[in-house]
Amino acid sequence: MRIAGIVVLALLLALPAYALDGQQLLKQIDRNLNPESYESYRKLINIEPDGKRKEFTLYTVKKGTDKVASLFLAPASDKGRTTLRLGENMWLLIPNVGKPVRITSLQSVVGGIFNNSDILQLDYNAEYNVEKVEEKGNDYLLHLKAKNRTVAYDRVRILADKAKMLPRLIECLTEAGMLIKTLHFKDIKNFGGILRPATVETDSPLYKGYKSVMLYAKLKKRSFKDELFTLNGMGSIDSLR
Amino acid sequence: MQLLLLILLLMIVSARAGAEDFTFDESEIEKKLWHLGGYLEARPGLNLLDPDAAQTRLRYYGRHVDSTLADFNGKLLLEGSLEKDWAKLYLQPSLDYTNTRLNNYLRLSWYEAWLQAKPNEKIRLLAGKKSLKWGKGYAWTPVAFFDRPKDPDDPELNLEGYWLAMADYVQSFDGPLKTIAITPLILPRDHDLNSDFGTQDSINWGGKLYLLLYDTDIDLIIRGSGSRNAGYGLDFSRNLKTNFELHGELAWDVNHQRQVLTANGQPATVTGNAFSWLLGLRYLTEQDTTYIVEYYHNGTGYSKDEMEIFYRQIEQGWSAWQQNSNPTKLQLLGQNQTYKRPAVMRDYLYVRVSQKEPFDILYFTPAVTTIANLQDQSLSLSPELLYTGITNLELRLKGTAIIGSSLSEFGEKPNDARIELRLRWYF
Repeated sequence: MRIAGIVVLALLLALPAYALDGQQLLKQIDRNLNPESYESYRKLINIEPDGKRKEFTLYTVKKGTDKVASLFLAPASDKGRTTLRLGENMWLLIPNVGKPVRITSLQSVVGGIFNNSDILQLDYNAEYNVEKVEEKGNDYLLHLKAKNRTVAYDRVRILADKAKMLPRLIECLTEAGMLIKTLHFKDIKNFGGILRPATVETDSPLYKGYKSVMLYAKLKKRSFKDELFTLNGMGSIDSLR
Repeated sequence: MQLLLLILLLMIVSARAGAEDFTFDESEIEKKLWHLGGYLEARPGLNLLDPDAAQTRLRYYGRHVDSTLADFNGKLLLEGSLEKDWAKLYLQPSLDYTNTRLNNYLRLSWYEAWLQAKPNEKIRLLAGKKSLKWGKGYAWTPVAFFDRPKDPDDPELNLEGYWLAMADYVQSFDGPLKTIAITPLILPRDHDLNSDFGTQDSINWGGKLYLLLYDTDIDLIIRGSGSRNAGYGLDFSRNLKTNFELHGELAWDVNHQRQVLTANGQPATVTGNAFSWLLGLRYLTEQDTTYIVEYYHNGTGYSKDEMEIFYRQIEQGWSAWQQNSNPTKLQLLGQNQTYKRPAVMRDYLYVRVSQKEPFDILYFTPAVTTIANLQDQSLSLSPELLYTGITNLELRLKGTAIIGSSLSEFGEKPNDARIELRLRWYF
């Protein structure tokens, strides 16, 4: 009888694991990383194998699941560059060139490991379906598949802390399963009530010895008008600061 | 023991080397009321002259010139802005220094100088000098009715704007139509203001209607009849895949007037509707090679026969100059600007291939560009090396070779080849 009771209890405890809703987990991870609408400052550091660095500072605003814009604040050679993403549409405004031009998600406006979709990241839930969830000790391992072919990485694996529901590591892969880059999430900080990693380090087997680091600051919830996320609004991002 | 200490020391040193100090100081992101920036540029060049080319004869008759000709261009471009709440003042003066065989001068131009009021996210009012840069084309933009023409040899250069007043109204939606924006403008022209915009004094008007419809940028553009004849334009741009963008433009110049030279060298005006169009793409390969390809039909351009008449007139002028030192014909032809503008003929192909960071050299982008005149099978071929690895310093080495027979557009250009170094320091 005691054995039967233990078996039933074990089954009951195991039940939540089988009832895991991957998409819901992914939504939770997205929300813990960022509020749905927010502003933040980021510093991107490209590090070469010899230790040489190049740094970019960006101001980013995001609204809902499909609108995000970033303004380059530094270095001087890139100051004023603005990128806008509206769903799968992406544009780059270079002050010298003067007009927004369409860019593609796989291009890179900063060079190095980060491409445009990394800089203008939308919610993972908006771009990916969860195919499978595995439990790995204290972590969940989510296997994601892009919802369509316009998404930069066909497959993504997220290793997320069960307790904090925050990613420890994200792997971006091709359709054939080749690893393109790995994002390491570190240094959890409190941004006015939002507890999230303040440092994301990225490496890639395609760029051996190179590393890119993204530092977050002043991340906070904020609402914006839709009209800000238009070609006409791109020149006005700085006025929000 | 000594070995142990050495190992310990090495471990400490390597640990320190590995400890990376990433800092993000909030002072780095503090916003100021004003901003001052810009760049300083030095651009020395060396030209290999074609002494028999029509444009060489037109430019250098009566002067001794060597087969190699050096030049130097310098530029200080300043950008200043003052922003408070809904108002913004923006100034962009450019100080240009040019030292060539023909000229040596310093010139100050105001590329932009405008005042903007933006009472909310939907409305913007602007008055002053502004470069609008309408159109989706990279090398050419036939629908840019209120802009100075681009130089296809360097399409990303800043351009001097026109004095105008404009407004913007933007509205976003959910659904297939995501954005609509209306931009009306007026552009006055008299002998002091916008004097190179057409020929007649007038308060010109025009505007643009922008739609983001089914993930496609669409612009409908109009230029009212005034200093220039009426014009209607349409452009579009769309990302077909994550690495493939397609764009195009169509411009209709109503009753466009072309100044032509007749076979006997007399100027004449040809009037008629001119349709110009452009189709282009950007394609990024898995190896990070970017292709920009554009075909351009210039409905306002000259035919092959018309251009040959111009070149033959120069030949005649050159003969007259050599036989009796009479420069009149060459002087008259030299004053004719319409035959010397970029993309002077009708059918062009632009191809640019650039490779991002080959051999794992970060911030290094080699590229090769060709601009081909499809009517007379002449072309320019420009390889270049760009390096941006030093913060705020941009280095570009660019060469250009000209390929074309006699009486062809590129074959009659003054240079057979040119090499140029551009150093640009941003601050």
